[in-house]
Amino acid sequence: MKKTPFFSRFGKSEASVAWLFMTPGLILLALFVFWPIIYSVPLALTNYSVIGKTEFVGFDNFVKALQDKSFITSLVNSLLYVIVVPFIQIFSILMAILVNSNVKGIKIFRTAYYIPVVTSMVAVALIWGWLLNQNGVINYVLSSVGLMQEKITWLSNKDTALWTLMFITMWKGLGYYMMIYLAGLQSIPKDLVEAAMIDGANRAQTIRKITIPLLKPYVFFCTLISLMAAIRVFDEVFILTMGGPGDATLTSSLYIYQQGFQQFNFGYSSALGLIVSVMIAALSIVIFRFNRKGGVNPY
Amino acid sequence: MRKKPLRVLKLIALYAALILFAIFMMGPFLWILSVSLMPGKNVFSSPPAIFPTFIDFDNYVQVWNYMDFPRYLMNTVIIALMGVVMNIFFSCLTAYPLAVFRFKGRDLIFALLVATMIIPAAAGMVVNYLTVKALGLMGGFLAVVLPSAVTVFNVFLMRQAFMGMPHELRDSGKVDGASEFRIWLQLSLPIVKPAIAVIGLLEFMGMWNSFLWPMIVLNDTKQYPIASALSFLNGQFSYNFGWIAAGTVISVIPIIVVFLCTQKYYMEGVSGAVKG
Repeated sequence: MKKTPFFSRFGKSEASVAWLFMTPGLILLALFVFWPIIYSVPLALTNYSVIGKTEFVGFDNFVKALQDKSFITSLVNSLLYVIVVPFIQIFSILMAILVNSNVKGIKIFRTAYYIPVVTSMVAVALIWGWLLNQNGVINYVLSSVGLMQEKITWLSNKDTALWTLMFITMWKGLGYYMMIYLAGLQSIPKDLVEAAMIDGANRAQTIRKITIPLLKPYVFFCTLISLMAAIRVFDEVFILTMGGPGDATLTSSLYIYQQGFQQFNFGYSSALGLIVSVMIAALSIVIFRFNRKGGVNPY
Repeated sequence: MRKKPLRVLKLIALYAALILFAIFMMGPFLWILSVSLMPGKNVFSSPPAIFPTFIDFDNYVQVWNYMDFPRYLMNTVIIALMGVVMNIFFSCLTAYPLAVFRFKGRDLIFALLVATMIIPAAAGMVVNYLTVKALGLMGGFLAVVLPSAVTVFNVFLMRQAFMGMPHELRDSGKVDGASEFRIWLQLSLPIVKPAIAVIGLLEFMGMWNSFLWPMIVLNDTKQYPIASALSFLNGQFSYNFGWIAAGTVISVIPIIVVFLCTQKYYMEGVSGAVKG
């Protein structure tokens, strides 16, 4: 065995052992990750639902989707939701800079900021739903400080509901992105900044020329992750508004879910899922193209 | 000389900002805790009850008697542990050859796996529902866990960890005549322990907080994990603030405790996922 030449050592037997290792996991992935993608194509071409006979309907579902006002609204809302992304980056970088300082008790603050990340969205949505009620604490505080004349019904007003949900999404995620940016800040060698200072660079210059460029891969990673999360947003909408009032907070994920599990239009739901998947895939390709110049690997 | 008071001032400003953010991030939790400890108080009263004026555990006693919390917590622990064990086992097995073996099609498989990461999950839910139903798993914990028993993300993390392993290790195992499986089990796995801890923790928290999928595949509310149960409780008693507040606190405390005990590994894992 030891004497076998290099090539056969990495030849057939290695491959068969490799497949032996991977088979259990690949079967599960095939069943629950690949199969949904493959199977939703034929499903989208039928009118499969709980009632009636399942028939092949060609591209009817796709034509219907393009004329479906609620679906278009849900796409627009999901795209609007992306506005939360830059706000997440700004606040989490700010927090990361704050907790990067070496003062007493800093670890307690880091932990405190991270707690919303580990708690369930059900609990978070419940708490914020109460705080943001018309007669809730937020309105009381805002009006007693004089920042507000009339009480706002944050989540049941069609002009504010989507923005309020975005705020809750941001609040829950800040700690996660803060930790990643903190890792980024700590990966910048201190000598580099000191050397620049000795060479006569001022604070602003070191931030612009050293900190920001070195933080770039982290900004890319966080932007990508939060962008994907924003486009797919589901939990907070499902728990707090169910897409209402009207279609004001209807997002595409929620609409796909409603068509599938409330209307039981499995065929139509699959078609919607495919349309959204293709759009997100296209978006990711564009983002990666833009980023290729920088040569960073997000994972 | 002039620098000293400036530094003190800076320190004060820093702490002020830190505390301000802490109120922003922790305030809602402290408020719900305070609401849960004041039975009979309306959360929408004016002025609102922000700080507890008295402390009473009545809400906890009543909601504990009404809802079978030990059972929900037990369900959650079982589901979470099943998810953790399966994810560790399957992703360690699947990622290992992808990281250390050389065989035809390896890069293709890896590229295929990574490509699925950009496809939204909502689209797959209907088909997964049909699959679980066809497998006859409906109504059992396996139906909750199996669709996420191995995730591409975890395979990715484990592959990263295995790639950091020294090459000599496997060679030395081979020289000693150990089988590939034994090399994996006895030489490789101990080295990637930190990564295993990370995916275990991430999975535990993910499973603990998932509420929608369990509600879809479990028929009996008695089988619900805690997050689903809380959502159910909210639907049933949206007017009984004290109960819901107490239920929320009960559901949140265990996972916060787990986080506090394991945060060292967890934090390293979160930031390590980027570097890779």
